[in-house]
Amino acid sequence: MKPIPFLITAMILAMAGCSPNPGSTTGVPPCCRPALPSSRPLTDRSIYHLESVWTSDAGKTLPLSHFRGRTQVVALFFTHCEFACPILVNDLQRIEAALPAEAREKVDFLLVSIDPTRDTPKRLREFRAEKSLGLQHWTLLTGAEDDVRELAALLGVNYQRDARGQYAHSNLITVLGPDGEVVSQLKGLNQSIDELVRQIVTTHSQP
Amino acid sequence: MNSSLLRLVLVLWIGIHVVPQGSAAGTNTSRTIPGGIHRPVLRGPDDPREIAVPAFGLDALPVTNGDFLEFVRQQPRWRRSQVKRLFADENYLRHWQGDLDIGSTNAQVLGQPVTHVSWFAAKAYAAWRGGRLPTTTEWEYAASAGLRTAMLTNDPAYRRQIVTWYSTPSPASLPPVGLTPANFHGIHDLHGLVWEWTSDFNSALVTGDSRGDTGIDRQLFCGAGAMDGAARDDFPTYLRYGFRSSLKAAYTVHNLGFRVAYNLAPYTP
Amino acid sequence: MKPALCPSKPGTLGVLAAMALAAALPLAAAEGPVTPGEPRGAAAKGVDRTIVGQENAVLSFAPAVPPPIQRTNATKVVVELEVKEVVAKLADGVDYLFWTFGGEVPGKFIRVREGDLVEFHLKNHPTSKVPHNIDLHAVTGPGGGAASSFTAPGHKSQFSFKAMNPGLYVYHCATAPVGMHVANGMYGLILVEPKEGLPPVDREYYVMQGDFYTQGRFGEEGLQAFDQDKAIDERPTYVVFNGSAGSLTGDRALKAKVGERVRIFFGNGGPNLISSFHVIGEIFDQVYTEGGIKPNQQQVQTTLVPAGGSSIVEFKVEVPGTYILVDHSLFRAFNKGAIGMLKVDGPENLIVYSGKEVDAVYLGDAATAGTGDKVGQLQAQVQEAIKTDPKIAGLTKDIQIEKGKRVYMQTCFACHQATGLGLPGVFPPLAKSDYLMADKDRSIRTVVKGLTGPVTVNGKNYNSVMPPVSLSEDQVANVLTYVRNSFGNSGDAVSVDEVRKVKGDVSH
Repeated sequence: MKPIPFLITAMILAMAGCSPNPGSTTGVPPCCRPALPSSRPLTDRSIYHLESVWTSDAGKTLPLSHFRGRTQVVALFFTHCEFACPILVNDLQRIEAALPAEAREKVDFLLVSIDPTRDTPKRLREFRAEKSLGLQHWTLLTGAEDDVRELAALLGVNYQRDARGQYAHSNLITVLGPDGEVVSQLKGLNQSIDELVRQIVTTHSQP
Repeated sequence: MNSSLLRLVLVLWIGIHVVPQGSAAGTNTSRTIPGGIHRPVLRGPDDPREIAVPAFGLDALPVTNGDFLEFVRQQPRWRRSQVKRLFADENYLRHWQGDLDIGSTNAQVLGQPVTHVSWFAAKAYAAWRGGRLPTTTEWEYAASAGLRTAMLTNDPAYRRQIVTWYSTPSPASLPPVGLTPANFHGIHDLHGLVWEWTSDFNSALVTGDSRGDTGIDRQLFCGAGAMDGAARDDFPTYLRYGFRSSLKAAYTVHNLGFRVAYNLAPYTP
Repeated sequence: MKPALCPSKPGTLGVLAAMALAAALPLAAAEGPVTPGEPRGAAAKGVDRTIVGQENAVLSFAPAVPPPIQRTNATKVVVELEVKEVVAKLADGVDYLFWTFGGEVPGKFIRVREGDLVEFHLKNHPTSKVPHNIDLHAVTGPGGGAASSFTAPGHKSQFSFKAMNPGLYVYHCATAPVGMHVANGMYGLILVEPKEGLPPVDREYYVMQGDFYTQGRFGEEGLQAFDQDKAIDERPTYVVFNGSAGSLTGDRALKAKVGERVRIFFGNGGPNLISSFHVIGEIFDQVYTEGGIKPNQQQVQTTLVPAGGSSIVEFKVEVPGTYILVDHSLFRAFNKGAIGMLKVDGPENLIVYSGKEVDAVYLGDAATAGTGDKVGQLQAQVQEAIKTDPKIAGLTKDIQIEKGKRVYMQTCFACHQATGLGLPGVFPPLAKSDYLMADKDRSIRTVVKGLTGPVTVNGKNYNSVMPPVSLSEDQVANVLTYVRNSFGNSGDAVSVDEVRKVKGDVSH
């Protein structure tokens, strides 16, 4: 595809995607919007079988299954992270920007803290503002240590606190389908995101 | 007399002096591991050399087939036919004949350590018993005791024995719990029987990520060398860390079981 | 840049334009669609248009080598390798739990072509005790593949790499503690042929040296355990080719015919020792030093092969006979097992090698059998041996034969052969030997004090030198009992007292 015509098309689409539509929930983060209804039972591999309860940066308590119905791009992080997490968050933002507009509307981003002691909802709100994470699609969660360990184990994220209060952790971005199954994962930092974006688009476009 | 005969006599002698416990469900007792200092073998350059471990309770024996049978009787969603793939892979309890059928009522089989259980199943069992899984630090701390001394490093004969376990093939059928000698804390089978789940098994960092993010995973791969290891000749510890790193939470393995730890009741005057 | 959706600030259009541009560029630069369902390996992220088709790799157990690659294009090669922990023979009577790639030590030989895309499937057998992975020195990428192939027992993993560099590379397990995994036998060779291939030869063989560390002494029977102290101190008990002492001797020797060009892909798995690879009776016409792809040296007698390294040697065999492969650090060859054979058949070439001349060996004062000095030395040696070896007085003849066989296989077979037939013209046979059976005391003396000078055995003349063999009295009694009751011989046992009597007899 030649860049210039695409540029124009992208601009138009981006503008279209931005205009508020009736009943839009701009300004209310995903945690606080009503959960989407679903008639299908969860499959055996859905993350939403986990019963743990979390707190969003807006102060709302909710189970993970609240996010059912939309594709979720998930990463584990902590706000005091000096090196890896800023890149990780930037990777998520790159993914968001790389999505075609129609996909971008239906995809949410979930950041879960592995440092619940320091990452209180207030601290998470500060972080959101620092990074300008859009209210429309981004959620930041904190929870009990055991629950964090469980979610991390499920996704395949390893982490450990070191003496300085930093966490050594693996860097993993996970894409969950609307019903909570792991669709794709990307290991490492600052990687090429093309494959992941393609998988998100495919997932989102499936009924 | 040749050395293999001597070895046999030694094993029998030890066996006679160890009263097998927990060969049937419900006789597993727990012991208190007193608080102390643990010196981790594997640590990154920024990690502490010493970790204070508060006292905790630990079962003297791993969980057995008999124990786990009782658990799944009371908790149907952990039965083999009902468990979700999210929480246990296809080999969950594959060595049993059915949901509630180990395949034998023989005390020997009931007393074998339960294996082919995932981390989720182990956690659920521990919670059912009013406990939890030990952390990796707690487990390593309990396992760093010798037979008659608190420090394994002062017990070279026992250390040699532990290494020997890795030179023997996995037996087709596991022996029952309780046959290895109790260590200084009164705990059996931390070495020489099965690997054991810990609550934070996924803290050992060997994931295939770029090496830039952590010190520990550098130690666990070829290029990493033994630059930061505290005891570079402690192969069994390296093997255990390596094994834990290869696991995912839903994995079940033929030689991986677990035991239960407990928080001690806070002292009330 | 921190993009924000639907900003309400002025300059929206400008921001949107910049955003759209940022969005457009990566998409425009992306390579074309990747087929869904392909593994998420690094290679699958892009499309390599030089790769044509796909094939399954032909792998081989040592000493065989997969056939040379005929195709002239790069392709995708699927390699399936299973890690298995197996108990197998390390030496006669000695068993060991090997950790293997494919079921044997060394692991299977992998042969691909420069430019191939290798899709590697590593499986860890469910009975394995520990996790394993693989680091191929041919891989350019983190850990040589180690990180991506880390596999728990009963699981499998997969990764891909492009074989960009031609050469002969070692692969090995790289799970901590790495030394232990390698010491247990987890290594093999992968050959990445250069685009133009290697020059054709008549025979190709795969030989890989390794050092082993057991808690028991050399030759101590039974299942031996890994000894980490010896490994750390670099004091191996066994140094062997292809995973066991005797793997390339007797009827398992390598074979060739006179006039053929032989190529040996020689690897050294280590974990510790460097090898001084030499073939007795041959000179290497070409050596590809350290497994590189240029035959950069000619006419080499002994070549250095680093631990975790390799070498390719080529030579043309001109003369029939048995050529001995050794690590020329000699005590490894003769006392630890680093010895193998290449048997060459075909017509004699008397100009190159007459085969009938035998070098006279200088024995010092033991040459004329038994001066007091030498006997005294021998006796002292034997006393030493008695102190360390258990007494066998009172054993039955069968046990003697059994034990004697072990001694024979470690000491005598090199000359007298496993068949007891000796080497015609050089070493006399023991099989149905009139010389042996006629005089028991003389046979004891031959072993204990050596033998020089012409002898006639079964009607043939021999004039070699047999050096005195340094064995304890028990071992002498046992090996003679064995020999006297094997290879078609039948006789009574030899006792320790008889041996002692012969030793003490200074008249011979």
